[in-house]
Amino acid sequence: MRGRRILTLLLLLSLLPLTGCWSRKELNDLALVMALGIDLDPEGYAVTVQVMNPSEAGNQKGASSGSLPVATYKSVGKTVPDALQRMLSLTPRMLYLSHIRVLVFGEALARSGVSNALDYISRDNQLRTDFYLLVAKNAKASTVLEVITPFEHIPANSLYSSILVSHKKWAATGKVTLQQFITELERGGSNPIMSGVQLQGEAADAETTENVRSISPKALIEHAGIAVFKKDKLVGWLGEPLSKTVNYTLNNVDSTAGNVPDPNGGTAGFIVTRADTSMKIRLNEQDKPEFTVRLDIEANLTTVEGTLDLNKPSSIVGIEKNLEKRFDDRFSSDIRMIQQRYNSDIFGFGEALHRQYPHLWKEYREHWEDSFKTVKVQVQSHVVIRRIGSVIQPLRRELEEK
Amino acid sequence: MTPLEQTPSPQENLPESLSSMIEGIQARMGKSADIIYRFISLGPLSAVIIFIEGLSEPQELIKAIHKDANLFHEIDEFHPQTCLKLLQERTLTLGKVGEICNYTEAENELLSGNTIVFIEGSRVALSAGTEALKQRGVEDAVSQSVVRGPREGFTESLRENTALIRRRIHNPKLRIEERRLGEQTHTNIAVMYIEGNADPIVLQELRNRLDKARLDSVLESNYIEEVIQDKHYSPFPTVYNTERPDVTASALLEGRIAILTEGTPFVLVVPALLVQFFQSSEDYYQRSDFASLVRLLRYFCFAVALLTPSFYIAITTFHQEMIPTTLLISLIGQREGIPFPAFLEAFIMEITFEVLREAGIRLPKSIGQSVSIVGTLVIGQAAVDAGLVSAAMVIVVSITAIANFALPAFNVGISVRMLRFVLMAIAASFGLYGMIIAMIMLGLHLCSLDSVGVPYMTSLAPMRWQSQKDTFIRVSRRGMKKYFGRN
Repeated sequence: MRGRRILTLLLLLSLLPLTGCWSRKELNDLALVMALGIDLDPEGYAVTVQVMNPSEAGNQKGASSGSLPVATYKSVGKTVPDALQRMLSLTPRMLYLSHIRVLVFGEALARSGVSNALDYISRDNQLRTDFYLLVAKNAKASTVLEVITPFEHIPANSLYSSILVSHKKWAATGKVTLQQFITELERGGSNPIMSGVQLQGEAADAETTENVRSISPKALIEHAGIAVFKKDKLVGWLGEPLSKTVNYTLNNVDSTAGNVPDPNGGTAGFIVTRADTSMKIRLNEQDKPEFTVRLDIEANLTTVEGTLDLNKPSSIVGIEKNLEKRFDDRFSSDIRMIQQRYNSDIFGFGEALHRQYPHLWKEYREHWEDSFKTVKVQVQSHVVIRRIGSVIQPLRRELEEK
Repeated sequence: MTPLEQTPSPQENLPESLSSMIEGIQARMGKSADIIYRFISLGPLSAVIIFIEGLSEPQELIKAIHKDANLFHEIDEFHPQTCLKLLQERTLTLGKVGEICNYTEAENELLSGNTIVFIEGSRVALSAGTEALKQRGVEDAVSQSVVRGPREGFTESLRENTALIRRRIHNPKLRIEERRLGEQTHTNIAVMYIEGNADPIVLQELRNRLDKARLDSVLESNYIEEVIQDKHYSPFPTVYNTERPDVTASALLEGRIAILTEGTPFVLVVPALLVQFFQSSEDYYQRSDFASLVRLLRYFCFAVALLTPSFYIAITTFHQEMIPTTLLISLIGQREGIPFPAFLEAFIMEITFEVLREAGIRLPKSIGQSVSIVGTLVIGQAAVDAGLVSAAMVIVVSITAIANFALPAFNVGISVRMLRFVLMAIAASFGLYGMIIAMIMLGLHLCSLDSVGVPYMTSLAPMRWQSQKDTFIRVSRRGMKKYFGRN
């Protein structure tokens, strides 16, 4: 009994030296990296980090010593870790990458392929995988990380939360995490996307606090639609309407707003409160797959400009019909455009085919890109208007009736 | 009483003559100033009344003897034996009268506050129960006060305490076994239980342990607790103690055994289970739904008091990636410029708090208040302002301290306080991984404990489904048909 007890104790104690936890690091030994930017450089990679300045950013009392809440450091290396290592000659503390909120690629790097750079990011066990991937449109990643933002002390946080908010309420930006990107990249029947950001204003204005001293900041970071990738290479940019189409098709829309002509010649604004997308595959006579994208949308009216009689149910039905038609037309043409111009299956049609007809997929696997270009895609939308707000008739109509 | 004829050992037997009796007592007990010898005459016979002043109140006895003085003159034959019989049967109006025939008994009786009457020529003395019951009255139970429920607490008098329990349980099966412990103090101990409710095996085990106990003195019930507990090195108490008669009564009804000690209001209750230390008597005096929630809160407080500082140390020195980013930014900002590692910071704060608490316990109330003000200012404000500790650490330490006070049993609070430091050290060297291992070891240790032969974790390990009605929650009385020990 006694021997067994001692043995148990020894076994438990022997667990202690097996831990990986010897790497004790105090909070004030860390330089918290908030954002990581990777650019192409003749020598390999140019890496930019945005590091939090704890005495400024974490200070609640506002006793500012005049320095900024963040600082950026840049260095160049053959590989990303190489560059990060070299950066330690500049930073006063150990770089701590776990908490990066955004990872930004320069457009040049994105066009030449991101997989080599991503290898380090996904291999390093220090990183949490909840950050978002971005591409700096027409710019280097470093320019995006050198913008002082109003409101949020830390620009990376500002970027991060604006991705969340705009994705949820606007739906024209991508919310792509490392995991998603790599999954899309590695599966045969799909291609990844990333969200784009660009600098609005002059880079020279963006770097100092002067930028936020003014009521309308001279330089801001702006979302720039979705970047289409083919394999790991950027092939093109999608503007706002196209980005929305992509998000709808990928079933990524929570809520978004838009407008549509009403049956009476006015304009009806609506807000989507629910959007469900499903993909159906049917084989035609030649055993070729045909895709149907089915959209189920619930929307509320937000504004009615004109004299439409909303007391009649037919008016609402009319708006629904107009909406459905518009969704069908726009989506069909948008998808066709992406098929033909970029020839990149960012919608995952191939993956859907793979799942539904695994045997058929074998024929397509090798040359899916060629088939994707000509595959037939149909869009069927079904729109229901749920609420029309707290007044019934449009204001204009009320005025004219008097 | 041993009759005169069976003489056990000669030198202890009482002598015939009055003077040698007094000499004998003086030889044994010294010429202490508080031992009073009062000579009286019973007719032609002379007698002495011996008692210890302060311990006994012999006035009643003396009055009674004087009243009946004539009686002795009427007796024809003045034989000491008849005289003694007369005294015992007719004169002494006291409740407890007995015969004693040797010095050891005489000594014990005197020291218990009884009065000895010795008549010249008889070799037997009478002892009369004249114990002085002068003591403080029944007051509030200070250590376990309740909002709703009886306010009475035990006193220092054993007899009063047994009466307090008897008053609650009018059950003829309530048994009291008395014994004396302590080579020097001869302290009265009472073991109380309800015949039929108490487990005879546990009872026998307890008796054996008390028999085996070799104690020099017993001044408080902890002297006994230490000799009857199962393991001596565990930080957890395996004997429950209480100051409240109602708690003791309910424990007796549940089949537990109470040990009362002369001279202290703290009563020991065995077997004690871990879950029992999370129960307050008020749980049963409040609505069951509320009592259940409060009880769950106590378990939560136990975890908070035990783990918060070590958890904070572990995640801020090893697992920064686990902290939400915004919180981390704020924590880093607070730790900026703090010269100590997080462990030392926590350690300093915890020690300061323990010092303040220790200082506050013994101080008079008026000074205690100023100590706590200085303490709050020094710990809270000044230390943070001076950049010695971070504000987050002050919060951690104060939450820990407050959660500690929420535990209803003081002795489990002590266990938590001791283990907290151990866990802090483990967290500082091995992080969360070490903490998990420490928790596993703690769990194993708890499961290995026994309280007088009953597993300490009973109702959880071994699992008893019936007892779950009164473990983490308390179901209302309708749902609770069976109690502990009888499922």
